[in-house]
Amino acid sequence: MSYKPTIVAFLCNWCSYTGADLAGTSRIKYAPNIRVIRIMCSGRVDPTFVLKSLREGADGVLICGCHPGDCHYHEGNYKCLRRYHLLQKYIQQMGIPKDRLRLEWISASEGKQFAQLVDEFTESVAKLGKSEIRQVMETLT
Amino acid sequence: MEEKRIGVYICWCGTNISLMVDVETVAKEMAKLPNVVISKDYKYVCSDPGQDIIIKDIKEHNLNRIVVASCSPRMHELTFRKTLVKAGLNPYYFEMANIREQDSWVHTDRVEATKKAKALIAAAINRVSFHEALDSRSVEINPATFIIGGGISGLSAALEIADSGKKVFLIERSGRMGGHVADFDLTFPYMYSAQQMITPLIQRVKSHQNIELFLNSEIKEIFGYIGNFESTIHSKDGKETAVKFGNVIIATGLKTFDPSNIENYGYGKLPDVITSFEFEKMLLNGIIKTKDGKEPKNIAIIHCVGSRNKNYHEYCSRTCCMTALKYANQIRCELPKANIFDIYADMRSFGKGCEEFYTLSSRRNIKFLMFDQENDLPKIVSANSGDNCDMLIEINEKLTGKTIEVPADMVILMVGMEARENAKEIAHAVGISMCGNSFYIERHPKLDPVATTTNGVYIAGGCQAPKEIPDSVAQAKAAAARILATIAKGSVEVEVTTACVNEDFCCGCQTCIKVCPYTAISFDAEKKVSVVNEVLCKGCGTCGSGCPTGAIKCKHFTDMQILSQIEGIMKISHLELQEA
Amino acid sequence: MKERIDPNLYNDLEKFGIDVGNWNECYHCGNCTATCPLTEKGSLFPRKEIRFLQLGLKNELATSAEPWLCYYCGDCSKKCPRDANPGELMMSLRRYLTSIYDWTGLAKRIYTSKIFEIATILVISLIVMVLYLNFTFFPSGEGAWTGNDGGVLINKIAPWKRIHFGDWLMAGTLAFFLITNIFNMWLNIIVKDKSVKVPFIAYFTEVFSVVINFFTQKRFNKCDNDNKPYWVIHLFLMLSYVMLFTMIVFFLQWFQTDSVHPVWHPQRLLGYISTIGLFVGIIYFINNRIKKAKENSKYSHYTDWTFLVMLFLTTLTGILLHFFRINGMAQATYITYLIHLMCLVPMLTIEVPFSKWSHLAYRPFAIYFANVKKSALKKQVKL
Repeated sequence: MSYKPTIVAFLCNWCSYTGADLAGTSRIKYAPNIRVIRIMCSGRVDPTFVLKSLREGADGVLICGCHPGDCHYHEGNYKCLRRYHLLQKYIQQMGIPKDRLRLEWISASEGKQFAQLVDEFTESVAKLGKSEIRQVMETLT
Repeated sequence: MEEKRIGVYICWCGTNISLMVDVETVAKEMAKLPNVVISKDYKYVCSDPGQDIIIKDIKEHNLNRIVVASCSPRMHELTFRKTLVKAGLNPYYFEMANIREQDSWVHTDRVEATKKAKALIAAAINRVSFHEALDSRSVEINPATFIIGGGISGLSAALEIADSGKKVFLIERSGRMGGHVADFDLTFPYMYSAQQMITPLIQRVKSHQNIELFLNSEIKEIFGYIGNFESTIHSKDGKETAVKFGNVIIATGLKTFDPSNIENYGYGKLPDVITSFEFEKMLLNGIIKTKDGKEPKNIAIIHCVGSRNKNYHEYCSRTCCMTALKYANQIRCELPKANIFDIYADMRSFGKGCEEFYTLSSRRNIKFLMFDQENDLPKIVSANSGDNCDMLIEINEKLTGKTIEVPADMVILMVGMEARENAKEIAHAVGISMCGNSFYIERHPKLDPVATTTNGVYIAGGCQAPKEIPDSVAQAKAAAARILATIAKGSVEVEVTTACVNEDFCCGCQTCIKVCPYTAISFDAEKKVSVVNEVLCKGCGTCGSGCPTGAIKCKHFTDMQILSQIEGIMKISHLELQEA
Repeated sequence: MKERIDPNLYNDLEKFGIDVGNWNECYHCGNCTATCPLTEKGSLFPRKEIRFLQLGLKNELATSAEPWLCYYCGDCSKKCPRDANPGELMMSLRRYLTSIYDWTGLAKRIYTSKIFEIATILVISLIVMVLYLNFTFFPSGEGAWTGNDGGVLINKIAPWKRIHFGDWLMAGTLAFFLITNIFNMWLNIIVKDKSVKVPFIAYFTEVFSVVINFFTQKRFNKCDNDNKPYWVIHLFLMLSYVMLFTMIVFFLQWFQTDSVHPVWHPQRLLGYISTIGLFVGIIYFINNRIKKAKENSKYSHYTDWTFLVMLFLTTLTGILLHFFRINGMAQATYITYLIHLMCLVPMLTIEVPFSKWSHLAYRPFAIYFANVKKSALKKQVKL
């Protein structure tokens, strides 16, 4: 049996969280490894949140926001995009594969796309195997 | 610090959740978590008896934090917040775990779904410990309304509001009112005269004591928030007027599609290929003639020009099918012997009286030819001298599967509708969002098609999507009614989940000021710290994640709240891993 | 291949129909074709025909055999949500096609002008009268006109050889027009259709289907369960007509005898059965049309009435003729024979090659051509 990863996801309230709810009301099935945290805007995703998730042992972190141009707060998703690119570089330097972090745009009507995304990301994270960070951190401290 | 006493309530939602999540076991396990005083499962927590249990428990067990694990917070967060208020608790001492839409409904493995539920509830329990009491805030409403656009939507809304005695500022970019309707001859399906409809409206608006009219005017930006907006109107003659108002209606309308770049139709090259709006002018003048001044014997009308096609616009422009039938009928009256060809993709005759109008039209010897709008547009070419007509239209006729040639002396292109070229500027000026095709997005496509996601800003008419006159008027009057309702109430509750600055931590780097999309943060030069104007702040939290020192606190989405949530999730999965 | 549309086709075809609805109202939901018990892959109707008409594809209509494959049960018109009356279109198309096949142009004039039809009937009747008066003998005063068995010596009044000569003359003319028209039909349906190349052998393998369909009208039977009595009566009428026509045209010497045979004699027996067949059929159809009982009898074109009335008069005078003859009423026999011929001859000359009765030949041939095409197509696919 393949490894069952744990994924922490940050979904913006207006587009992506609504899209994930739509997947639910449409009864579209997807992998059960994802744990969603609701935030108002993808722009609220503080790099600390991502690092904290990884440190606590999350095998993958997913951020979803509104499509470019559709942000409820005009441009929060662009801010998120910039931080995302920096973060990917940063975690790589720490020895974490950059594919453990992913940013995607999911609109309120894209329930199906959300389910597909979760399946796809779960699969790719499962391939990377268990994240060792939590263990390393525990032995260090 | 007070002791946290948390009550956890796990909903069965009938069988919606309980089928896929072992709610009873989850409830038992959650009871073991720190600070949890009570953990219960119940058939329908949102029901009155369910809420009564929470209220009773709060009083009996002196609970001060509540977690409900049930459906999406988008569904019942407000319900439960009110429950807390009833029990005398601050509504923000509440957190919800979504174990229906994002768990039981989307998974098929009961064991995994139960694990997920545990993680989500544990996260909520962790989070709720850090919740703080927040107080709601209300602001007064300025009774004046600002309407952008003097078409039929803007006029209807303006009169509705002005007639009830409230002030209206109506601005129109061009020099005349009436919009597209002022260019129409007759209207489908009852053939009412557009002029007779629009002229009295314009007259009334011009002379109305409550309406202040600004022709040839534009705005650059609107500042403020619901109830208290302000802006400056720039007139073309250089005059500037500052205005204050409480609500905004955007009724900027739409424009017609330019068919010159559809090669098949030869618009611009073939003289007698004209757009529907050019033909409308002919009808208004009462003469149907080709460019040579001849009476056309064969007239073709082509539908869906620029609509419903990947290369142009994918949406349906809604009004053109019936306008095409209107033209066919008007031509039949003017030129009883002419051959009329209606070349359509799908005849969309929804709406009151429209299907009947189509039936009626089909009895008037109008030939209906169907073509494949997505892949195979008709082609118009000049005819040869022997053909006895000016042009030939080659169509792969869909219902017969035959390639046919239709003679034509005049071709009317039913051009689609598209968003105005300055739609984006207006959206930015007012602070609303657009769809991919530059039409404005309504708050909810079904339940709130009049409001936008910005409080106090409403949309009406063609700026939201192509629509016919009655729909535009209905939307305009609905927007007017919504605004009159808030004016009548006098005040409105605003966002409390805003950001605030802990001045002790602020280093004065001003990063937050750069990232704020609402210019809600300013710099206090004396104290050398940032200051949030909570009235302008909409609570997106971008400043919070940009702040390097953690000085900015995003209320109800604080760092501690979210970090504890992450810990809660990972604690459960870590425990499970250890067990395994 | 591109086809130029003919904007006037609709107006042209309307002249062959009755003002009963508007074929332009059809929006092609396809209920008519879906409900039709006879349509099948390869020959789709009636929706396709409506479309050709709406677009003005004259050539497509002129070369289709489908109108003849329809027997007008009327289900399509009943199910039509737009009251576009597809059944009546198929009927009008049969009239239209008759005029297309007919190279003389008479069919078109008969179908589009009431006056022309009646005038033609009168002219032919008069010619028949003149010929009859010149070549027969009035049973006056002298000479015994009655035989020993009490029957009129009919061959003395109207010698069978003379009548027979007239019969042959008429049959030859009819056959000439009918065959040339069928040749035209063949050109239209098979030769002009470039999508199929018919191998010569197919004409032989499918010839059986013409005969079968002519004598059983089994397609008609498939048409609708409600139409069972209709089919039986129509078949009986048709066979009776063929029987009488054969006896008159080919076996007149045996059919028109001076001696009165006993009732059980094949000559009288066959005559009676055929007459009953004709009479019952005519009464049934006239009744249907008056009462507008069925979908296919709701709307009557004037040619439908002339056909029925002429057939009725012919049958009635035939019965009277027989009655007068066996009862020895020589003068009455003479006059009735004249009236009988004055009805029969114009009826056959107009109806068989140029009007309604041509369906007797067109229908089986259309089925034949359709089958020939179908088998050719099958072979093409196999290759």
